Amino acid sequence: MILHIDMDAFFASVEQAINPRLKGKPLIVGTRERKLHTVVCAASYEAKALGIGSGMSSEEAFKICPDLNFVPAEQSKYIWTSGRILELIKGYGFETVYVSIDEFQIDVGDQGQSPNGGCPSYAVALAEDIRSKIHKNFNITASVGIAKNCLLAKLASKLNKPNGVAVLTEANLAEILAKTPVEKLCGVGEKTAEIFHDLGIKTCLDLYAKTPKFLERNLGKNGLNLYASLHSEESLEPADDDPDPKSVGHSYTLPRSTENPGFIRAWIRLLADMVGERLRQQGLAAATTHLWLNGPKIGNFGAQKTFPEATNDGCEIFRRVLVNMSKLGPQTPKTRALGVTCSSFTHTRYLPLFDQQKSRESLLEAVDRINDRYGDGSIYPAAITLTREMP
Amino acid sequence: MAISGFNPKARWDRHPLGRGQAIPETEDSVDPGILDEKIEVLAYFKGSAIFPRAFIRNNKVHRIKKITYNWQERRGREVLNLFSVDTGTCLYQISFNNTTYRWQIDKIIA
Repeated sequence: MILHIDMDAFFASVEQAINPRLKGKPLIVGTRERKLHTVVCAASYEAKALGIGSGMSSEEAFKICPDLNFVPAEQSKYIWTSGRILELIKGYGFETVYVSIDEFQIDVGDQGQSPNGGCPSYAVALAEDIRSKIHKNFNITASVGIAKNCLLAKLASKLNKPNGVAVLTEANLAEILAKTPVEKLCGVGEKTAEIFHDLGIKTCLDLYAKTPKFLERNLGKNGLNLYASLHSEESLEPADDDPDPKSVGHSYTLPRSTENPGFIRAWIRLLADMVGERLRQQGLAAATTHLWLNGPKIGNFGAQKTFPEATNDGCEIFRRVLVNMSKLGPQTPKTRALGVTCSSFTHTRYLPLFDQQKSRESLLEAVDRINDRYGDGSIYPAAITLTREMP
Repeated sequence: MAISGFNPKARWDRHPLGRGQAIPETEDSVDPGILDEKIEVLAYFKGSAIFPRAFIRNNKVHRIKKITYNWQERRGREVLNLFSVDTGTCLYQISFNNTTYRWQIDKIIA
């Protein structure tokens, strides 16, 4: 059996624990300190009840609830708390997977099974113990889903939110899936849901009952994967403590759309620099760069290119991203959000042959040493200062 | 999967005027109540845990009624222990620098 532990409105709950005066009140956590020009990255359950959710602009949220409380996000608190929760869960000795900053999975194996297919009392007791320890240590709540595989356990974790446990067993699976809209299943977005609706699939049970052939015919390889994820009785793969990532990227949503080329380029430079720094921290260099832009006219634009030489220099990544951007033509498009991602990693990088390259290497080493000693962002390219003020 | 200590926020939310200086008022800026003042703190250390009990600010002793939360943050090579503390009248964020052994009051939370 798999236990999927999902923190309830994680960032907002941490902020309510820090400031108990915010408990029971509608609260949003935004990405920066200007509360009317930001994006909601977490909403408390009291705000969610009013229809406010993650991804919404804060301006829209304040229109819904003028008395809304606002706290600017401080990642370090959430990362630290997430790390301590992971340690706590690992302490139980089961295979544990860090799914995301606010989600964890553990595999309790056969111990979680009930011989008659009914409620697995051991797994439920374990879930309650974990939830109780999280609450005692951090004063925040978690919901837990229990099921035979990761996908169903994740689905179950959403069924009794907040602060609840839900179990999907052979005995109740059909009844619960029949009541659950297919959109609730992880990985089913708006477009996939539309396809499902056209195929007459409205609930998770409708989907569960389909054959692999049916899903393959209509969704291709993804359909087969979906069938396997829904029906498997899987075990969690032992986690590799230090796997090389497949990609490293950063993205950012601007306070509002802009077509100011200097401002947009400064943001791309900042994101490229952050990606380069992370690559150097991990001893990697990337041959492929990918640019993603989102704007009112261009929608979602993505372009990538693989270059013969791998790099981890932010400036070079920036230049390569601009090559990707040139596919849009000479005009800078009106942009609301942007992202830079690198992939195709190698551990070995070309050795600098020329003096200019050698001096660039020395510069990067010095910059990394300063930022390592005094903190990220202590020294950075001057162009990045343009990101401070929205034109 | 290891949790990255990398904090991209450090880059773009770092105070534009430098620490300790007032953020210019704008129609929608949140007053962060930033203080960044060195303070004297009475605390006890138990194992690896730190429990601040009272601090002196402006020659006045503020007794800490409750530590509502605590967490750690890395700034370069320095590790800070941060605490949100309730004195009954105000909620403050204070921090202890594990390298310099100095306490500071970071801001008034509420």
